[in-house]
Amino acid sequence: MKRLFLLLLSTILFSACANKSMTRYEALAPALEKKGFEGAIEKVVKEEKDLYGSNSQFLYYFDLGVLHHYNRNFDESIKNLAKAEKIYEDLYTKSVTNEAAALATNDNVRPYRARPFELLTMYQFQILNYLAKMDIDGALVEVKRSQIAMNALYQKDKDKVNDNGLLRYLSALVYELDGSVDDAAISYVNTVKAYKEGKLSLPGEVLEFVTESLKRNERENQLNSLNVSIPPGTPKATAVQELGQEIVVVGYAGHSPILGELYMQGTFVSGGALNLSYKDGETGRMSSLTLIAPPVAGGSGNTFHIGFALPEIRKIPSHVARFEVTLDNQKGIFPEKVMDVGSELAQNMENEKTSTILRTATRVAVRTIAAQKAKGATNTGNPLIDLLKNLFVDVGQSQLEQADLRVGLFLPNSFHMTRIPVEAGTHKVSVAALNSYGNVVELFDFKTIQVKKGQKVFLFVPSIR
Amino acid sequence: MSKIWTLCLCGAIALLVGCASEGKKVSRIDANSVTDLSGSWNDTDSRMVADEMINDCLGRPWYDNMIQDKGGKIPTVVIGKIRNKSHEHISVETFIKDMEKALINSGRVDFVANATERAELREELASQQGNATEETAKEAHQEIGADLMLTGTLNSIVDQEGGDQVVFYQIDLELTDIQSHRKVWIGDKKIKKFISKNGVKL
Repeated sequence: MKRLFLLLLSTILFSACANKSMTRYEALAPALEKKGFEGAIEKVVKEEKDLYGSNSQFLYYFDLGVLHHYNRNFDESIKNLAKAEKIYEDLYTKSVTNEAAALATNDNVRPYRARPFELLTMYQFQILNYLAKMDIDGALVEVKRSQIAMNALYQKDKDKVNDNGLLRYLSALVYELDGSVDDAAISYVNTVKAYKEGKLSLPGEVLEFVTESLKRNERENQLNSLNVSIPPGTPKATAVQELGQEIVVVGYAGHSPILGELYMQGTFVSGGALNLSYKDGETGRMSSLTLIAPPVAGGSGNTFHIGFALPEIRKIPSHVARFEVTLDNQKGIFPEKVMDVGSELAQNMENEKTSTILRTATRVAVRTIAAQKAKGATNTGNPLIDLLKNLFVDVGQSQLEQADLRVGLFLPNSFHMTRIPVEAGTHKVSVAALNSYGNVVELFDFKTIQVKKGQKVFLFVPSIR
Repeated sequence: MSKIWTLCLCGAIALLVGCASEGKKVSRIDANSVTDLSGSWNDTDSRMVADEMINDCLGRPWYDNMIQDKGGKIPTVVIGKIRNKSHEHISVETFIKDMEKALINSGRVDFVANATERAELREELASQQGNATEETAKEAHQEIGADLMLTGTLNSIVDQEGGDQVVFYQIDLELTDIQSHRKVWIGDKKIKKFISKNGVKL
């Protein structure tokens, strides 16, 4: 009876812990490629339970919000991203039972809490959604919320990078629209600081707008303290200030990397050797390594079967690398890269590395000891039955081990942006999405754009290919 | 052996607790009752601020002075732009409606439709010309011009540390004489909330 109960419990645990992350990308990527944003939205909604489940609700709303933004359903995007934010806030409180279950099984049983860069990207999209709707007050609210979120992230861990240059730059733009010149100047200063803290270097056009704003607001001394080479002239930024209106082009290029699993398995002889074999994520070849194994209390000389899984970045080849804007037949306007999602993910993985390895090692150790105890406790004396049973426990144990591969699936590989000063009136705008050789992959023809006096018109170019 | 059974039992209970579905219960409550769930700006804040600020506004000396200037006639007020500069997406429309209600119910001022409503009314008036009967069609150029405009901002400051958060709202309202652009009244209302979140739960 006891044995039956143990087997039943193991079955429940295995079925409860199927790794949805592994199937999510495979299921959704074809929908995006073949049916576009509309098709991907439909698929996400239809298969919410199977692909996301209750533990990845943040990702569900985040992915939907991002897709709706690309699809120009700004109200829907706002609604979904607000739900994602609410989930993030509610998950501040950690469940002891969830954490304990994660220690016994894997991290996928914990609710997904969002990576800091995802949270900040969510605010970027919200700001852009409100700007697209020309709702300055709405955008301002999101700017303030993002600042509160960033403060909270820094309070949690001040040694990690919890800032984002693009978010600070967009905040400055919103403050400018609001007429809050001092707040705009402060945000411009923070933009430079954030880029310096991150991996992407400060884009030239951004520096031009920072310089213009600080000079205009008699904050040149701050510019000197930022330790940047001040551009000799700021023609574009000056023209935007003098004309009063501009067209802002925001391009989303390529597909961000996702996470794959690095599964290492082998044998562990207490006080002897630790033999591990794994598939190299880059080459796809099987590799092996042998380490000196630390002794485990009470396990001297025993051979343990172990397996552990770690998340690793998998790059997705991007067909689109940059954009070229044509304004009123004037070609050659190239929006600059203002955010690199791959770098953000790499930075996040680097930040989380120690805690991920520590959690994984603890989990594997706890489970290995428990499995050995379970094997010993359920011995029948029949060599064949015991062999099968032990095999079942080992297979079950390795099945339980899954890396947490959850990450936003529809982010671009990079964000690009340019601000073009224009006269009030009608303008013809088209944007070409280019590959790394400069060939046109996709053309976005906005035809005629009406720009009113003092207006900032935002154009979005989502080329997630 | 008994330890393994205890562990198994704990695991099973943990799973059951995790999988338990959340029940939903609905009950009706008084619309005027004070309810604070998330700590965000809510209907109680909106109503309370509108009532208190309008009462303060109409109880100040400018009111009697204006009545005197207008030969005993009560002043006419229009609500201008109320900007949300806080960190929350606050429904400014609800707040404006609460203020309109407080103004009308005071009986101490006349109150005219705002710019958006006026545009709609003018459209209706234009539509009546030539469509409604001569006896029932309303005449153009008969609108009452407001004497004063009420404008304002909703602002907030958030201070937080871990799971504790103090949110400070400040609502500033101004009443401006449309003719002279003289500010006849400036008022503010402050609300401070302490919100605490637990770091762990069972």
